[in-house]
Amino acid sequence: MLNFSDLLPYTDQFLKGLLTTVELTLYSTLLGLILGAVLATARQYGSSLVAGVVSVYVELIRNTPFIVQLFFIFFGLPSIGVMLSPWQAGMIAMVINLAAYSTEIIRAGLGTTPKGQWEAAKVLGLSFKQTLLRVVMVPAVEKIYPALTSQCIIVMLGSAVLSQISVPDLTYAANLVQSRNFRSFESYLITAGLYLLLAILMRKAFNMIGRRVFSYRVIK
Amino acid sequence: MIEFSNIDIIRNLLIATQWTILLSLAAFAGGITVALLLTAARLNKTPLLSIFVRIYVEVFQGTPLLMQMFLCFFGLSMISIEISAWNAAALSLTLFTSAFLVEIWRGCIDTLPKGQWEASRCLGLSFLQTLRYIILPQAIKTALAPSIGFSVQVVKGTALASVIGFVELTKAGSMLNNATFEPFKVFTFVAIIYFILCYPLSWTSKFLEKKFNASR
Amino acid sequence: MKFKNIFKKTLLIAASLATLSAANIVQADVLQDIKDRKVLRVAVPQDFPPFGSVGLDLKPQGIDIDVAQYIADKMSVELELIPVTSANRIPYLQTKKADLVISSLGKNPEREKAIDFSTPYAPFFLGVFGDKEIQVKSADDLTNKTVGVTRGAVEDLELEKIVSSNTTIQRFEDNNTTLSAYLSGQVNLIATGNLVAAEIAKKQPNRAPESKFMLKESPCYIGMMKDESALQSEVNSIIAAAFSDGTLNSISMKWLKAPLPEGFGA
Repeated sequence: MLNFSDLLPYTDQFLKGLLTTVELTLYSTLLGLILGAVLATARQYGSSLVAGVVSVYVELIRNTPFIVQLFFIFFGLPSIGVMLSPWQAGMIAMVINLAAYSTEIIRAGLGTTPKGQWEAAKVLGLSFKQTLLRVVMVPAVEKIYPALTSQCIIVMLGSAVLSQISVPDLTYAANLVQSRNFRSFESYLITAGLYLLLAILMRKAFNMIGRRVFSYRVIK
Repeated sequence: MIEFSNIDIIRNLLIATQWTILLSLAAFAGGITVALLLTAARLNKTPLLSIFVRIYVEVFQGTPLLMQMFLCFFGLSMISIEISAWNAAALSLTLFTSAFLVEIWRGCIDTLPKGQWEASRCLGLSFLQTLRYIILPQAIKTALAPSIGFSVQVVKGTALASVIGFVELTKAGSMLNNATFEPFKVFTFVAIIYFILCYPLSWTSKFLEKKFNASR
Repeated sequence: MKFKNIFKKTLLIAASLATLSAANIVQADVLQDIKDRKVLRVAVPQDFPPFGSVGLDLKPQGIDIDVAQYIADKMSVELELIPVTSANRIPYLQTKKADLVISSLGKNPEREKAIDFSTPYAPFFLGVFGDKEIQVKSADDLTNKTVGVTRGAVEDLELEKIVSSNTTIQRFEDNNTTLSAYLSGQVNLIATGNLVAAEIAKKQPNRAPESKFMLKESPCYIGMMKDESALQSEVNSIIAAAFSDGTLNSISMKWLKAPLPEGFGA
């Protein structure tokens, strides 16, 4: 019944798709987390107007489906003169998504910072920026690091939807292959396996980075 | 060429919204049922069952929901199991929801002191009695906020059913977009409807979380 | 839709979910099944005017739907329409979610391996269409250009054969998305059917796609499961009847405002 050998001629397609997915994930994770950290800071320490704007953005993104955001960016924006390639549209959708979720997560981390740390830093003559970057941010991120890791993986898995606007990612490859050899079960099964592998590797990579970044605790 | 007025667009979207709501309810109910069974299996401490639950969670959290839907819809059919778009969507959303709920609940149950299990045992309560009278009442209180929070992901997840051809809100949106060619307007309406569905859930979840944290 | 109906449907769904595992696999005569069931299930397009598109109530209408209705009437059974996309119409058939595919289906060797075809019921040709500004006369002119196409459709397979590797083919899930991509200007060239291009021109005169070159003559056939000879001969004789009693011609007049071409179906 199952026949995986029909997939072999398409190995290249799968690899190319996999590469695109990895590439998109890498960039969107980096940009999304940086944007998330900035917005979380604005939400936590900014004026009430700034905090309000950020929270409207966060709620809008978190309460609408990714695929609708994607369609809006790809099909809707051209009618007001903003034309983006599938890759750009997909990338932007991923970044604004991850940023919205990581804003909430990082803010929760910032919220746990004891007041005394800010006061102590002030006494030591550190500026707001210095305090934030050198004192507050790292321990705050450490507290919520597992949640952040999970969110990045969720965004990676969500990128499967980019195939719908013809971004040649892994899911696009699976769809293309099954439309050629009509072996949908095998094609999707292999693809699901590859995503699972990516998710596991991503968690491992995050753990490794985490161990390095948060190793300051080990005082010898 | 048929002309669609704004009223026509909104009316059609609202009709399709009923299916989004129905699918969300089915998926959430299904997800809770399966997650309860899995939680029971996990608490039972049989190694084989725990391993099964671990793999289950890893697989359904570690693969895209879209891929799960494709596999349920076309994949199962290929191995001669007949399944409609509705069933495939409900089934894959159930699996997806249960995998996340079981993890959320694990966190809630694990924060309860271990001594409670031992104390209950000393009092002669069976495993199920302990679960029913001691553990669950406390766990439900902590689990309520994150579970409602997750229901937002379920509602949003139903949008992917559009890809396998189930006519819910997103599918109706892309059909209407093609009939009217007003993507900006149509997808804005679609997004607003999703927001109206999801925001009260997000808000409730946050409210409960605050209330619970305050009462501690 | 009444909520009572939805409730009923939920119960049905719950029941069908329960029996999911007990799904039966019976090899039988599909024609006999249709007659026993008194329902003909036909996969039709919903995003491919004038063959099938949605009206104000989002129900499919078009040439393919009229042909499906005619066949159901001739078989004296009820018609159940199943909206499908180009990419999934063959899986629908293979997995017995539909008895017939009447979805402007073209013939090609890969498909002939997977399913059987009736005699043709409507004329159609495939080509590359696009913005007036773009100068394209042949496949060679497509070098370094981007062409949108619906994944898995005959035009996708034909296009892939003739273009060089420097041409970008952007494949979309269904015709809906391909058309949206063209209309929103995301792609300025698309490979599709002549009638579809005509329909876009009617809808959006300012984006009217100009015919660049022809890919393939590809009349529409009705698709069905392999080795269902009883069903195949029944469908063929109904099509023959539809030609001789003028039904296909009047369907053509209704949707294309033109009679069938001389000699088609003879």
